[in-house]
Amino acid sequence: MPEIRLEHVTKRFEKFVAVDDLNLHIDERDFITLLGPSGCGKTTTLRMIAGLETPTEGKITIGDKVVFDAATGINVSPAKRDIGFLFQNYALWPHMTVYQNIAFGLENLKWKKEDIKVRVQEMLEMLRIEEFVGRYPAELSGGQQQRVAIARTLAPKPQVLFMDEPLSNLDAKLRSEMRTELKRLHSDSNSTFVYVTHDQLEAMTLATKICLMEKGVLQQYDPPLTVYSQPANRFVADFVGNPTMNFINAAVKKEGADTIVEFLGVKAKFTPNDKKEAIDASEVVLGIRPEFFTIRDDGKIHATAYSTLPSGMETTVKVKLADELVSSVVFGAIDYKVDQAIRCDIIGNQICIFDKGTTKRVSIGALEVL
Amino acid sequence: MAELALQARPKRKMIYVLRDFITKPENIILLLTVVILGFFTVYPVVLLVSNTLKVNIADLFYPELFGKKVGSFTTFHWKRMLFSDMSSTYFWVPLKNAVIMSLLASIIAILFGGVVAFLITRTDLKFKKFFSTVFIFPYIMPSWTIATFWINFFQNPKIGNFQSGMLYYITGITVPESFVYGLVPCAIVLGLHYAPFAYILIGGILRNMDANLEEAATILKATRAKIIRKITLPIVLPALMSTFLLVFSSSMSAYAVPQFLGGTGGFRVLTTTLKQFITNGWYGQGYIMAIFMIIFGLAILGVNQRVTGKRKNFTTVTGKSGQISYIKLGVWKWIAAVILIVMCSFCSFMPLVSFALESCTMIPGDYSTLTLKFWIDPGYPLQNGLHGLFHETQVWSAFRNSIVLSLSCSLIAGTVGILIGYAVSKRRGSRLAKAADNLAFLPYLMPSMAMGAAFLAIGAAMGLSKTMALLVLVGAIKYLPFASRSGINAMLQLSGEIEEAALIVNVPWWKRMLKIIFPIQKSTFISGYLLPFTSCMRELSLFTLLSSGSIYLMTTLLEYWQIWCSQSANALNLLIVVTVLVINLLVNKLTGASIDKGVGG
Repeated sequence: MPEIRLEHVTKRFEKFVAVDDLNLHIDERDFITLLGPSGCGKTTTLRMIAGLETPTEGKITIGDKVVFDAATGINVSPAKRDIGFLFQNYALWPHMTVYQNIAFGLENLKWKKEDIKVRVQEMLEMLRIEEFVGRYPAELSGGQQQRVAIARTLAPKPQVLFMDEPLSNLDAKLRSEMRTELKRLHSDSNSTFVYVTHDQLEAMTLATKICLMEKGVLQQYDPPLTVYSQPANRFVADFVGNPTMNFINAAVKKEGADTIVEFLGVKAKFTPNDKKEAIDASEVVLGIRPEFFTIRDDGKIHATAYSTLPSGMETTVKVKLADELVSSVVFGAIDYKVDQAIRCDIIGNQICIFDKGTTKRVSIGALEVL
Repeated sequence: MAELALQARPKRKMIYVLRDFITKPENIILLLTVVILGFFTVYPVVLLVSNTLKVNIADLFYPELFGKKVGSFTTFHWKRMLFSDMSSTYFWVPLKNAVIMSLLASIIAILFGGVVAFLITRTDLKFKKFFSTVFIFPYIMPSWTIATFWINFFQNPKIGNFQSGMLYYITGITVPESFVYGLVPCAIVLGLHYAPFAYILIGGILRNMDANLEEAATILKATRAKIIRKITLPIVLPALMSTFLLVFSSSMSAYAVPQFLGGTGGFRVLTTTLKQFITNGWYGQGYIMAIFMIIFGLAILGVNQRVTGKRKNFTTVTGKSGQISYIKLGVWKWIAAVILIVMCSFCSFMPLVSFALESCTMIPGDYSTLTLKFWIDPGYPLQNGLHGLFHETQVWSAFRNSIVLSLSCSLIAGTVGILIGYAVSKRRGSRLAKAADNLAFLPYLMPSMAMGAAFLAIGAAMGLSKTMALLVLVGAIKYLPFASRSGINAMLQLSGEIEEAALIVNVPWWKRMLKIIFPIQKSTFISGYLLPFTSCMRELSLFTLLSSGSIYLMTTLLEYWQIWCSQSANALNLLIVVTVLVINLLVNKLTGASIDKGVGG
């Protein structure tokens, strides 16, 4: 059950920096997702841990074995890192049958013929693809190919499993089904999973910890709910959550001991959860999740409904407040008329305050509308 | 109500459907394409077959045909060709020679081209950019370039035309005749000429092959050797087979190389024998040869279709393959690079140097007798009836003819290609579109020599013999596939909505074509014009039967001069090769389209 350690790992493609000074510690049996927009370096990071890409600088350790160290010139080949890798496009060999695809890795490990047969049968049953054993990949549907790819990857019982957007080629229904399976697989197999995705929902639902990257730089490395409720900066706050967080420019001033923020004609008192987090700027950006900007009859904020998007279980309302639009999510199905007058309020103690210049989160707390 | 009325009068409905069909330009284009190309596909075959059963003037000297009427029916040609004491000389030996030569050539081309493709796409070889550009030169240059260079290089006073060559002049080595003329050099030279072709095809496959397929095997602990053996090779195998068959088929119908390198030893293949028949006026036997060449060509194509369309579908081998780790060659990356530089310069640069040198020697192969007379002397430098090249009227008229022919062919083929592309993409999937698409591609599969023979028959039947019009016709049809391919590709990339947006505001068809469609896909369409042009400029085998004794082109003039006017031939050769290279360079610069696109390092 190895842990994985990345120290000061940097990858440059000529002048372009794909991954910049990345430090990451993945505990054994973790399910880590590398999350970020396309081109943020997440796939490169995964490929560097797997040995498919050579880092420019840094050191990578899997278990107690150093697999890469730029300083000492150690570079263990991917074959000797005892890992499994699930590719985005499955990379099934088109000229081999399902059986041959799954058995290939075991043959390379010099398993006995009978043992291979038993193990392949085991995998076929586990992934429910027994009836396709004699088929070629081109004769399988996307979901079936995916299962074969998983079977091939798991057959040699790797201790660490790397996955590069394995669900992105599937349709929505199959995708959510496979998510459930992957989470089961993780708890059943006792392995460490590292999973690349650009889908924040996938990252939220699957991972024990999310590693969010942008332009090759690590933004935040925390459990999913921490990333959601205590984003490290504006980028993280914006990337995670749907509909996205509201960002509102606000002015800050002190009135006695109270911190008063003013935005869109609203005046409110901010109480930080951590009293030590003092705000010394006069201009900040407020980050309010749509579910904390709620609509209720006794709300202190007067606004109008710009448009209403009910989706059954919940309703997203675009609220017009001083000529700006603010998203609000309320539970249940409501349908406001266009430009109907409504009253809103801000609830909860997870309202974020971001620095205007650095975009870092400076405080988090409750906002009481005055 | 209106529908009911239509049902009541089926005749009226037919007329509506027909009117609807006719008013759409794409239907008219497709119909015309199918009719005209269908005619030029079926008619020549009919003519070829019927002519093999007729008595020609030159046949009358055979005792068997003595006293027969010209044009009367006879099976003499078929009997003589296949079942007489001459059949081995006329048919079986040339066939055997052609097959062996083509086999060897294909193996050489695949090995050489394939290895280079592998080195460039999969390893950390040095100077990749350079190789990927230079390696395809031989394929751009005319097919006889390496052949003529081969003679210039290995010729020695004991063999051939008894002149000296480069190797002999420098080292005094005399290589045996069988290494300069006959099967061996023909196979090697064809192999070298088609190696870039193999490189382009195999390199394309390797480039597009999903690198993840190999990486997946690496992670599952397969060794490098095993990956190549079990993963890479099986996946590229259909492409390899297909390349093999295409090179084989091209070599079977190659004319210039065996013609120039066949020598006096009597190494004859199908094409050179065909040419001899026609020159002698023995059209019957010549046409039989042409028919067999067409049959062989189609048979090879059929095999190719079978090979590429199998259960284990390989064509879907795509993916994000940008991230590939190259195989580290160590010291070998330098050694391989040096070997490749030598090979490339032998095939790409040395020919030009050698043509230039040879054209400037008073005594061929003796570089101490340098002179510019064969280029600039207004008189007769060798008293062989030829002026210096710049003063030779034959050259200038041949140059003019070549340009006129190439321009006409490219204008016709290019324009028709665009129209076909437009119509086919408009009626995508319909039977008419498929028929037009296939017919427009058919000439590509026809051996040039056989096509020349067929149009010789057409020329005689239509009274077009020995005219420029006949050459233009055959050239335009032969190169239509290039143009129609690029036309179809260009149009398929274009969404139909772009034209529909103009249709809704009532822009007429010709204006939609000129103002919207053409400007958007300009560069692809232009390459549809330029490819026929360059191909035409360097074509010999298609025109050799048709132009002999009438309209000289640069290429046919070269063929005529080759044996006894060494210096002038070399000068002319240089002129042709440089012209072709310059035009190609211009094409690349203008359109950004290059033959090796997607393969380079």
